[in-house]
Amino acid sequence: MTSEPLKPAVLHILLALAEGELHGLGIADWVEETTGGAVELGPGTLYRSLKEMAADGLIREARAPARESDPRRKYYAITAAGRRRVTAEAARLARLVEVARSRRLLPERA
Amino acid sequence: MGARSQRVHSAIFRLLLRLYPSAFRAAYGDEMTSYFLSRLARARGRGRLSASREWLRGLLDVARTALAERRSVRRWESGGGSALTSLLQDIGYAARRLGRTPLFALFAVSILALGIGLNAAVFGVVDALLLRPAPFADASSIVHVYQDSDDGEPSSTSFPTYREMAQLNEVFAGVAANTQSGAALETGDGSRQVAVEYATASYLPVLGLRPHLGRWFDAAHDHVGSELVAVVSHRTWRTQFGGDPDMVGRTVRLNNQSVTVIGVGPTEFNGEAGSLLTDFWLSISSTPVGGPYQVANLDREEDHWYLVKARLAPGVGLGAAQAAMDALALRRAELFPELNRGRAITVFAHDAVRFHPAFDGPLRLAGVGLFTVSGLVLLLACANLANLLLVRGLARRPELAVRLALGAGRGRVARLLLVEALLLSVTGAVAGVALGAWSLRFFPALPLPIPGGGLDVGFDHRMVVFGAVLALLTGTLFGALPALRVTRGNVADSLRDEGRGATGGRGVRLLRGGLVAVQVTVSMVLVVAAGLLARGLSNTERVSPGFDADRLAVVATNLGQAGITDALESDVVAAQILERAATLPGVESVALTTRLPVSGGGSTTQVVDGYEPVAGTGAVELDFAAVSAGYFETVGIPLKAGRTFSAEDRAGGPRVVIVNETAARLFWGGDAIGGRLRAQSVPDGWREVIGVVGDARVSSLGEAPTPFIYYAAAQSAPAAFNIVVRSAGDPAALIAPLRAAVREVRPTLPIVRATTLEAHLGDALAGPRLGAALMGSFSLLALLLAGLGIYAVVAHSVEQRRRELGIRCALGAARPRLIATVVGHTLLVVAFGAATGLLLAAFATRGLEGMFYGVGALDPLAFGGAALLLLATGGAAALIPARRAAAADPVDVLRDS
Repeated sequence: MTSEPLKPAVLHILLALAEGELHGLGIADWVEETTGGAVELGPGTLYRSLKEMAADGLIREARAPARESDPRRKYYAITAAGRRRVTAEAARLARLVEVARSRRLLPERA
Repeated sequence: MGARSQRVHSAIFRLLLRLYPSAFRAAYGDEMTSYFLSRLARARGRGRLSASREWLRGLLDVARTALAERRSVRRWESGGGSALTSLLQDIGYAARRLGRTPLFALFAVSILALGIGLNAAVFGVVDALLLRPAPFADASSIVHVYQDSDDGEPSSTSFPTYREMAQLNEVFAGVAANTQSGAALETGDGSRQVAVEYATASYLPVLGLRPHLGRWFDAAHDHVGSELVAVVSHRTWRTQFGGDPDMVGRTVRLNNQSVTVIGVGPTEFNGEAGSLLTDFWLSISSTPVGGPYQVANLDREEDHWYLVKARLAPGVGLGAAQAAMDALALRRAELFPELNRGRAITVFAHDAVRFHPAFDGPLRLAGVGLFTVSGLVLLLACANLANLLLVRGLARRPELAVRLALGAGRGRVARLLLVEALLLSVTGAVAGVALGAWSLRFFPALPLPIPGGGLDVGFDHRMVVFGAVLALLTGTLFGALPALRVTRGNVADSLRDEGRGATGGRGVRLLRGGLVAVQVTVSMVLVVAAGLLARGLSNTERVSPGFDADRLAVVATNLGQAGITDALESDVVAAQILERAATLPGVESVALTTRLPVSGGGSTTQVVDGYEPVAGTGAVELDFAAVSAGYFETVGIPLKAGRTFSAEDRAGGPRVVIVNETAARLFWGGDAIGGRLRAQSVPDGWREVIGVVGDARVSSLGEAPTPFIYYAAAQSAPAAFNIVVRSAGDPAALIAPLRAAVREVRPTLPIVRATTLEAHLGDALAGPRLGAALMGSFSLLALLLAGLGIYAVVAHSVEQRRRELGIRCALGAARPRLIATVVGHTLLVVAFGAATGLLLAAFATRGLEGMFYGVGALDPLAFGGAALLLLATGGAAALIPARRAAAADPVDVLRDS
């Protein structure tokens, strides 16, 4: 298991898919919404990341739900490996936050 | 988002997707497009700016990820892949390599930007002056027609002769005449000098152009007595009148007269050849705006004021038109034998003339000169970069050898190096063209010897094309040499050499020496030229103008422009101004002249009693001024013989004239008093020479002595003149009171000029000063580049020879001796380049003798100084790295290797 930090695009896509299966536009919308517009995935970044993540086994293509009207839309789901990876990354980030707190760079938790 | 615009955006984005490998495009293209479009639609909802930003972001995102995708799909060493993939990879690779050495990249791009910027600016000016085609419809059937001057050169045409030409409808489908002039345009707070052209109704039709708004003059406007009408040029309309849509029908006040604007000129044509700026075209019926002489001139065969352009009738060739003009010249000579005997009329094809046959030659020469200098600087920059890239290439030889060994094509590796060079040159060209376009903004402020109202220069697409051509040319030029050099040779040798660091062999050393020699040669030529210009300038600055410019102030006005046309009234007004000026505190004396020394002005055709000119019509063309009593005393031109003008020399009295020493010597062998001369057109108008005065420089400080004659102002009622005052103190302090004095006499009088004579002489030197300053900065840039080039070469070569130098040092060689060896070798190359440069410069400047005032073309100071300067630069550039190498501890050096 590598502990190398994830690229921001990969991390955000994994976070988005952790909730459930989504298509590309859905992922981008969720990311933009949850980050308050701070992270915008360009078309190339989004789909190239999806391709590589699928190749690395972090995500897989999923069957489109029945409500989807556009047959061309591909849905993606997170794999077990992907879930482990994003959990590890979240833990790493949490440790970082603790370090920042201990240095009084962040306010103590209420 | 409308369906139509959605389709357009979608198509463009899909085109962009072609940057990806086809497999990726097939898998994700559709989704990416719909994703991008939905985001774009949202951005457009927030406004245009937001949409543009979305596009820019999408563009960069696609470009970046496409590159990454292509790289991850195939490594370039595999040699395969589509042309686009490999090219993109090469560009990406070159960009990353350059990014790793940002200082080198910055240096290279800066050098190129300077070199290309300089050339782009020069191109902008030369293009407007000489290259850009005039925007006339079917220009091939347009011809230029010129009557000869008194010297027998094609010059300009008298209006009566033009009228005759206009009758020849079997030869010409249309004939037009125009003449350039100036006028005072009334503005809210005074008046402004504008460039005007009087033109016939046939003018625009002959050129095949139409006004942008309103109408052009019609036949009724070709006769004096009809209304005063003007067409404002498109550019002036836009810049001075804010593009007022109601311009047509407005009235402007020109020379104190109301003129109705009936049209706005063509968009693409703002004056002569489309390059010289005119503010207003005035009809022939509007010649009263220019004063009574502008009107009288229309019937005077002896005045040649008009430029004639004609459109050939269908089926008529240049030869037939010339034959018709020969016949016309004969008819005019029969009619006015005294004026027109031997005076030819010449037809020129449109593309044989730019502005005027007499200006075109010198202008072309100046253009070629400018391009030569700026081209040399660019060549220098290229040689420099070739050298630097060669060094970089050598350092990379092991790496490139590995690539070759692994099977990459030689062409592919060479291309990689070429792409790196082109990436630099294109970046440099973009910066350079921007720099050039920016620098052209300062062009109108420069004192340039251009007739008319100014030059229409600016940034246009032709400059972009020129920049692109330069980018390709320079990139290939400085990239090809190193690419060929580095990839040649044996792979095994290069790999074996790797451990010791490649030196590049004898061939490369020779090549690099040659590049340095070329740089030195080019710098030498430029430095010599700068030296000659500077020497000429300093000589000119020391020239005595022939009068005492100290403590003199001048204010010029134009009675004609104020509508004062009566000779008697003119005299009264002039006398009033002089009187008022004389009473100003601090004024020692005051006088009037129609022409200041060292300035342009009109000439007159004179017959000198007892003097037979070598050739021509028995007359001589003489520069002249009309001056008041006290003029010579006021400006300090010494009297050499006879007397100066006095109050006795008035209208109706005996006609008198004063000549300068050169005229006295030329026409009367020195003893001019009592001699006679007359205007050629006035058979009984003899004037007697009453005085001889010292030579004052007529048109420029650097000129040869020129004959000059002075009329008494009281006998010629000048309509435009300068009031010159000698002040007791600072003359600049008198300018404002003088202006006021003129305005007090008549509030409508325009102030055409107000300055001190010192400043006036400075203006006369502005052209040469600008030339010397430009040339000086070019040669400084050249020196700097050559110095850098030498430094780079020596630094590299001592780096290669560290081991050898270290061993020598360890064996007891004295450091100064080692330094001398390295520097001496470099100086040999520099001396070779300098010698070639001296020869070239001597050859080039031989044709320019006489251009540098008082300086021989082989001026020892300029040539010797340049040689010393270059040797010193070369020595210094070599000394720095040589000293550093010699200072290294031999133990360290040997341990390292």
